[in-house]
Amino acid sequence: MKGKQTIHKVTAAVGVLALLVVACGGRTTGGAQGGQQLAVTTKAGTKPVDKVVWAVYRDVNSLDPIYAFDYPENTTDSLLYESLLRQAPDGSIGPGLATMTNPDQNTIVLTLKPGIKFWDGNPVTPDDVVYTLNRNTDAKLAGFYPAVFSRVQSITATGASEVTIRLKQPDYWLVGELASIPAMIIEKSFALAQGSNYGTPAGKIMGTGAYKFESFKPGVAVVMVRNDGYWDTSVKPLVREIDIKGAPNDASLTSALITGGINGSFTQSLTTLDQLKTNKAVTVTYGPGWYTDAFIVSNLKGPLGDIRVRQALSLALDRKGLVDAIYKGTATIPKWISNSGTFGYGKSVFQAAYDSSPDMNQDIAKAKQLIIDAGATGKSITIGMSSELTGISIEAAALKAAAEAIGMKATLHSVSAQNFINFFIDPKARVGIDGFFTLNYGDYAGPEALLATFLLPDGSQNFSGYGLAGTDPNAADHAKIFQMMDDARGTADPNARAQKVADVEKAIATDLPWIPVLQPLIVLITSNNLSGSYSSFAYMFSPWADKLGGT
Amino acid sequence: MRLRFFVRRLAMLIVSLLVASFVIFAAIYLAPGNPIAALSGGRSIPPESLKVLEARYHLDQPFLVQYWYWLTNALHGNLGISITLRENVSDLIASRISTTAGLVLYSSILIIAIGVGLGVAAGLRPGFLDTSTLVITAISASLPAFVAAIVLILVFAVQLQWFPSLGNGVGFFDQVKHLTLPAVALAISSLAIVARVTRAAIREESRKEHVQTAVSRGIPTTQLIWRHVLRNAAIPITTISGITVASLIAVAAVVEVVFGLAGLGAYLVQSAQSKDLAVVQGISLLLVGAFVAVNVLVDVLYAVLDPRVSLGSRAQ
Repeated sequence: MKGKQTIHKVTAAVGVLALLVVACGGRTTGGAQGGQQLAVTTKAGTKPVDKVVWAVYRDVNSLDPIYAFDYPENTTDSLLYESLLRQAPDGSIGPGLATMTNPDQNTIVLTLKPGIKFWDGNPVTPDDVVYTLNRNTDAKLAGFYPAVFSRVQSITATGASEVTIRLKQPDYWLVGELASIPAMIIEKSFALAQGSNYGTPAGKIMGTGAYKFESFKPGVAVVMVRNDGYWDTSVKPLVREIDIKGAPNDASLTSALITGGINGSFTQSLTTLDQLKTNKAVTVTYGPGWYTDAFIVSNLKGPLGDIRVRQALSLALDRKGLVDAIYKGTATIPKWISNSGTFGYGKSVFQAAYDSSPDMNQDIAKAKQLIIDAGATGKSITIGMSSELTGISIEAAALKAAAEAIGMKATLHSVSAQNFINFFIDPKARVGIDGFFTLNYGDYAGPEALLATFLLPDGSQNFSGYGLAGTDPNAADHAKIFQMMDDARGTADPNARAQKVADVEKAIATDLPWIPVLQPLIVLITSNNLSGSYSSFAYMFSPWADKLGGT
Repeated sequence: MRLRFFVRRLAMLIVSLLVASFVIFAAIYLAPGNPIAALSGGRSIPPESLKVLEARYHLDQPFLVQYWYWLTNALHGNLGISITLRENVSDLIASRISTTAGLVLYSSILIIAIGVGLGVAAGLRPGFLDTSTLVITAISASLPAFVAAIVLILVFAVQLQWFPSLGNGVGFFDQVKHLTLPAVALAISSLAIVARVTRAAIREESRKEHVQTAVSRGIPTTQLIWRHVLRNAAIPITTISGITVASLIAVAAVVEVVFGLAGLGAYLVQSAQSKDLAVVQGISLLLVGAFVAVNVLVDVLYAVLDPRVSLGSRAQ
């Protein structure tokens, strides 16, 4: 979820905006539609550029990948470090620093490509790989990714350039993580020498990327320069220096983009987007997002325990109004919980299943009937929200309007922007709440990356106890979905796996453990003389600036 | 007498810092939010990691124990570690102090040079200059720094493109260029107030008997202004300038945020939002200290300007 980003968009006009959303319900939406048709990169740059300043929504906090969990760190780390496997801009996974083979279902063998070296010239060894991967699960380091290694038995160096991962049971989801942040390789000897300073402003870092670390000054920027000794000689970045800078708010970002103080940024729900779209100094590009804006049902013991009530709310929600109100037209109406941008493998299988699913369009009459059938007329739900977070409060108001339009009652339970996070981490904060909103994404392009966080018994975001006896009145039915997930996780063939994940998506698009609200697009804004960046969500995990340059 | 003054002021400073540190610590402690959560941008952190981190920063301890940890460390010169950046607070503060100091200094120069200058000119020359000064200062005095900042960015950064709208810059001249709009934004309303008070003080003094007497005795204008008018008007001017400059230290935060400057004020706001306790404490105490120091300086100036004022007596 993405609480912090929106904190900067605190506004007193929230109430007014919320009213507007409800009032503008019937308006058709402008902007781009159909995430799957959007380009995943922009045209490669052709001219050298000395320096590019790239904005992120806040300052970078750490350059240690095990603590990279949010847009600013991911944007930066994906240029400095490289993962063992790599996600292409379209999300497909291929070799990165290593190639992968599966001698059997419980074994992953990673063979390092020849000639790969860190910025200091030292070769990347299996020892570095083992060390890096094991850091994720080192309790003393308290990294953010231990859960993705839950099926790993052991990670060992088994040759001069070979690392073997043994699994307790087959896990094809781990492959996606090996192409993501947890598998970004750092140099063992360097990290040990740095100790607790590694990745902090006081310390230094060592990676293999086409850009190498220069300086990390909080409040100023993370500065990186082209690595002229880069191991892959076919990659020739055109930009000499990239500064990653936190932009304090939409107004500052906008004026700096126009005046050239900032040359590019991947933005979300930018309030000044309309102004920038018409400004000749910048180019606005849309690309496929991999994230989902959703209402998390966190209590199945109340009215939302009835599938008909969840379906009715979903049917009554004015998603078209929200596309404009929150994303200025840069989001699509969902068919599934996962964004269609996440189809990184088994694409045709996913796409076919997706296209055959219905759009989640508004149908008040049908919704009203469902509420009557469920006997839920007059029943009340409580929505966790923060009136200080613009997007969240607009969504909450829209959901309240939806509930009231179909004969239910809804109460908004507002907390401060800082406290909104507690819905996610503190069970006490969820007491008396039926659900709350989130903007969520997985670690790689596969719908299961996000689904695994709430469709597993111990999923970190299974807040309602979905599928668990005692918290879910339909636990037995929902446990079958867990079984489907488990089955998919152990399926080797990508197309067969995609089919199984698609079946899960279809099941939950009906059952709605989360009610998807919208699928936002990537909104890339650059100076008009700059091109070549990725324009898909892959920028969060892969080197997005290799082809960035002047036009 | 002087020694007693400084000793007393030092004692006051220590008490102020102690009280402020406790109040701020308590306020941040009571404020909503979880400092660890800020680290992940809100995604769910694994519970085991959460526990390790909470233990590391003593967040699992009761309030008074946490404060005691902080206080004993601070007395040993250790301001603690930022949760967000995992680095020493003193290093983080040191890296930003020059920006805020530069901004406040730049602004103070503008306020004192232009504010006092305008006030003196308007006070001595009734008529068009005086009237226009009054009108302009009436408008700019009511202009909050963040509004001034937005207007300045729109006109001088976006339209005219004379100055950058964001960041600190590198090298002396580039930094001055980057600090110009923020300094003007910060100075604009205080400058007006200083100008108006100065003008009033000059008017007041010019009407006094000794000045009229001096005029009638044919004393040259320059000497008259310097020795008889300005010297006596200096106390109210110093008072208002002192208060204004001291308040800049706090107001600078707003301007730093708008212009994306890596200053202490912006950092304070950011740290308070993410509940990074040690940083908030460190910066707050520095600001309280600076505020007290400016006031001491003003008191010393009184004694220099007016021999009738002795240091000790003003402190009471």
